[in-house]
Amino acid sequence: MPESFLVIDDSKLLHQMYRLIFSQGDLAGSTVHYAANGREGYAVLAAHPELTLVLLDLNMPEMNGLEVLARRQAEHLHPHVPVALVTTEGSEEDEARGRAVGAWDYLRKPFQPSDIQALVRRARELRRSRGAA
Amino acid sequence: MTAGENPFGDLLQDYIVECLPLAEQVGDAFVELERSWQSGEPGDDLLTTVKGRLHTIKGNSAMMGIAPARDIAHALEDACGFLGRSPDACTADAAALLIAGGGLLVELVGGASPELDPASATAFVERVRAYLTAAPGAATAGSDRRQTERRGPRSDEGEAAGNTVRIDFRRLDAMLEVLGEGLIQHSSLVELYRRLLRKVGAGVELEELDQTVLSLQKTLTRLESTLMEARLLPVSTVLGRFPRLVRDVAHAEGKKVRLEVSGGETALDKAVLDRLGEPLLHLVSNAVAHGLEHPEERTRAGKPAEGHIRLRAASVSGRVIIRVSDDGRGLDEEAIRAKAESLGLDVRNVDIAQLHNLVFVSGLSTAERVTTLSGRGLGLDVAANVIHALGGTIEVESRKGQGTAFTLSLPVTLAIVRSLIVEVDRERYAVPLSHVAETVRAEPEAIRQINNQGVTQWRGDLIHVADAGAVLGTPESSRGLRPFYVVMTAGAKRRGLLVDRLIGHQDIVVKGLDPALGRPTVVSGTTILGDGRVACILDVVRILDGVAHVN
Amino acid sequence: MSTDARAVAEPLLGFADSLPAAAADTAAPASMLHLLTFTLDREEFGIPVTQVREVIRVDGITRVPQVPAHVRGVTNLRGRILAVVEIRTRLGLTPAVVTPSSRIVVVELVGRALGLLVDRVSQVTKVPVDSVAPPPEEVVTAETDFLTGVARWNSRLIMLLDLDKVLLLNA
Repeated sequence: MPESFLVIDDSKLLHQMYRLIFSQGDLAGSTVHYAANGREGYAVLAAHPELTLVLLDLNMPEMNGLEVLARRQAEHLHPHVPVALVTTEGSEEDEARGRAVGAWDYLRKPFQPSDIQALVRRARELRRSRGAA
Repeated sequence: MTAGENPFGDLLQDYIVECLPLAEQVGDAFVELERSWQSGEPGDDLLTTVKGRLHTIKGNSAMMGIAPARDIAHALEDACGFLGRSPDACTADAAALLIAGGGLLVELVGGASPELDPASATAFVERVRAYLTAAPGAATAGSDRRQTERRGPRSDEGEAAGNTVRIDFRRLDAMLEVLGEGLIQHSSLVELYRRLLRKVGAGVELEELDQTVLSLQKTLTRLESTLMEARLLPVSTVLGRFPRLVRDVAHAEGKKVRLEVSGGETALDKAVLDRLGEPLLHLVSNAVAHGLEHPEERTRAGKPAEGHIRLRAASVSGRVIIRVSDDGRGLDEEAIRAKAESLGLDVRNVDIAQLHNLVFVSGLSTAERVTTLSGRGLGLDVAANVIHALGGTIEVESRKGQGTAFTLSLPVTLAIVRSLIVEVDRERYAVPLSHVAETVRAEPEAIRQINNQGVTQWRGDLIHVADAGAVLGTPESSRGLRPFYVVMTAGAKRRGLLVDRLIGHQDIVVKGLDPALGRPTVVSGTTILGDGRVACILDVVRILDGVAHVN
Repeated sequence: MSTDARAVAEPLLGFADSLPAAAADTAAPASMLHLLTFTLDREEFGIPVTQVREVIRVDGITRVPQVPAHVRGVTNLRGRILAVVEIRTRLGLTPAVVTPSSRIVVVELVGRALGLLVDRVSQVTKVPVDSVAPPPEEVVTAETDFLTGVARWNSRLIMLLDLDKVLLLNA
């Protein structure tokens, strides 16, 4: 089954990096959606309930990662889709705050392709355990 | 930049494409922040935007494995965060630090200089770290958000960011040096014109030549004024940190103080401003620590418990007058008199004004107690020396029980020449470095006498070497071989000048020659050295012309 | 203080009037001359106090090459460069040897300040105008050209210097 992912990040460089990562190994062939800001990303999320994983950058202008999560939580939008908050640093407080608004996991920069692969594997696990179709 | 083993190594160009403009925006924003702070605005929005950009650069650099850029971005991000919380720390020094970091960041991101090693990034990060721990407000955040005084007019018209360029101060200096050369060449032209006139007599072409040469001089002089003006900065650049200082000192001394600052927009040469800060700081902290009485004493004397210190700057016919006054207890005349006498000075016939100005004489500080804050750094005599070396003057007035006022008078623009200070027969002289090729230890065997002139080999050439004492006509008869010679150059000419000691390099303020001194040819001006003594500036061009020779 | 600075200076807080000037305080009655007197060798000379800006100790006189005769050099007067004149040689005496009692008398003529190097400065002396006589003709020394008169007062002989003549260095 072709998997699909969503990357919400305002950095084109990061888009390139993700593109590279999602073209390797067992991720090759999957569909990756890219959004350059929180608002756009929210709209794409709304349109794709089948997403395996969302990679959401924390630090974005206008609507940052936390705000996207908060809105999703408030509007109960696809709560089953795991969203990983991607940040450059993160204290315990940050993690707690993220989880409070529904972040499923945290990913810290700099990350390696293997980190994404591990994340995807866990997301698949989550899906299987939930019995989603 | 080693992104070799990095999985995203191929994306280096993308990294540069994305992050270099960001870094440049950061740099521009820092310059804009500097100007905001000068006009008393905190620039919070700008700080937030910059912080976001730095965060992005940091993350991207981390992903690419470019540690130096990551570290600088991180350090700057921290600094911006701190500055956003502590408006009191938004000083000229802070801005300078940011701007330096911004420049470094651009270089690291753009990979512009391969010789820029990671060590400079580490060094800068250390600087930021040191600054953050030492900066005012480092321990306390959220102090008064607004300073008590407005630092000059709001610059929201005409001077928008688009109208200014950022230029390294040293470039201005370089331009002025080139201009200086132009002026020297102009003098040569005048000389040539005169010789031609003598040779061929008057004529239409010569007349035209005369006019053109004159116009050239006017043009060069105008250019000089323009460049000098470009070096001007408002006094508020230096005065910015005073409210905080006064608060700190007042607190430490248990005094209540109100500081009033006006005239911050008065402009001074950057070179003067850079060095004016410390003496001014000393005067102000002195006023708080020693000039003002404690609240109880003040109330007993019928004064308001809160002491008043006033810092005023104004521009008056080519000079900038800065006045630091307080309404405290005034100078202790008896103490000054006693101290002066203990130093062997005869102060019987000295009037009050002269007595007060004795406080600038070395050793005459009557404040026995040296506090950590106001005693740091300078004494009044050193402060006076610094101001004199800048070409300025300082005087004091005082009324017992009523207050003290220090008046500084500074030239708006300076002619500053980086010079080599040498000693000849116990007198010091300044040789402009632009005319110094090298200083050499004189070996007696290396200097031969040909036609009664000393000559020596220098870098493959044979050059004349003259005794400075002979050139300058010093009365001392001690003219054994002096241990050093300075190779002076002017145009294509070179000549060695034997001196006793090489004191060092110094930026000196050129002062003209008093008309009473006539028209010496070997010296072109005078200057006041850091120790307060006057030194003559050698006119290298004329000395090398062979025109100038005392004997 | 320079007139520029005074123009800018506002009265000190709480001060009602301006501060004392450098010259003597009480106005001299018309019959008295206020003189600043100084000694060169053992002779006493005097100049009107109104021409004197201040008296300072000698804190280093920097020699300047190629200056006119009788210019000893320059010194730093609170940031200004002050030319110092060797009055002794001007009056035909040997050059001064600087001692702790040497002083520089800062005078002001036609808006310019100059320093006079003297051996010792005495107090400001008030002499009655009628104690001043023209320089005695029979005593003709190199000095008499520079005198406006001689004051005999309280067994002192004070020679009054004509500063304009003394300082006319470059004709």
